[in-house]
Amino acid sequence: MAERKEITTRVKRTVQAYCDVYEEEGNIVLRLEMPGVSKENLDIKIEANELTIHGGRKSMDEKTNYLMKEIYDGDFMQKYVLDETIDRNKIHAALEKGVLTLKLGIKDSEKPRKIQVVEK
Amino acid sequence: MAIIKWKRDDLYNPWSELDRLQDEINDLFDLDRLPSTSGLFDRPVSPAIDIVENADAFEVLCELPGIDLKDINVSITSNVLTIKGVKKVEKEEKKEKYYRKESRSGSFQRTLSLPTAVDAEKIAAELKNGILTITLPKREEEKPKQITVNLKEGK
Repeated sequence: MAERKEITTRVKRTVQAYCDVYEEEGNIVLRLEMPGVSKENLDIKIEANELTIHGGRKSMDEKTNYLMKEIYDGDFMQKYVLDETIDRNKIHAALEKGVLTLKLGIKDSEKPRKIQVVEK
Repeated sequence: MAIIKWKRDDLYNPWSELDRLQDEINDLFDLDRLPSTSGLFDRPVSPAIDIVENADAFEVLCELPGIDLKDINVSITSNVLTIKGVKKVEKEEKKEKYYRKESRSGSFQRTLSLPTAVDAEKIAAELKNGILTITLPKREEEKPKQITVNLKEGK
C-alpha cells in the first residue's frame, strides 16, 4: 500500500477549470476560471478536432508549512471536441485576472443569412 | 546466472485491487474544490484559501479569478483576517445563449484566525493572475529567537 501511494503522488494531478460556454457576436465563447495560471504556463492547442487547454500551476512544495490547504494542488486541463461549424483560423484567446476567454469563430457559411430576391 | 523467480509482496494479496479501487474513488471526492471548512458568514461561493506559515510571516493565498481589485476588501483585527468581496455578473445583454454555466457570482466572506498576532502596519497584498497573496509579518515578540549564552570558564 505504502509503496503504491508513493507512485501516485509523483504524478501531477489535473482538474477541470470552471467553464462557462455561451454564444456572443458570432463566436462561441469559453470562459474558464484558471486562478494562478500565467500566460507563460498556458498551453492551448488544436489537434484534428480536439481542443486542449492546459494551464500549469505552481505545485505544492513538500517543505512548505501549510496551516490550511484548500487550493487544489494540480494543473488545469480539459479537452473539447470542435465540430465543423468552428472556423479554425478564427480562434482568439485572452487571459485576464486568472480568467481565460477563448473565442471560437463560427464559420460564415454556418451563420444565418438573408437571401436576396432579384426582381426580373 | 541463476534464475530468480520474480515475486512481489502484493502479488498474492487478493484485496490489493480493491484497495486501489477505493483509493481511486477517494480521489474522485477530492476533486471537489469547494472548501470544506466554512464559517457562519461564509457564502456558498467561498473562495479556496491556503495559509502558509514561515519563520517571520504568514502568507495567505486566495483564489479570486475574474475579480477586480476594487471589489475586494481585506481587513484585520488583531489576529483575525477577513477577506470580503463581490464577484460581479458580467454584462448579460450581449450574450445570446448560454450553453453551460459553471462559474458562480455573488458576494463572499472568509474569516481566518491566525495563530499569533501580526504586525498590522506591514501587511502587503497583491492580486496576480486571479490569486490574492497577503503577506502578514509576525510581530517581533512572536518571532522565534535564539539567545546566545555567554559561557565563562570557571576558575
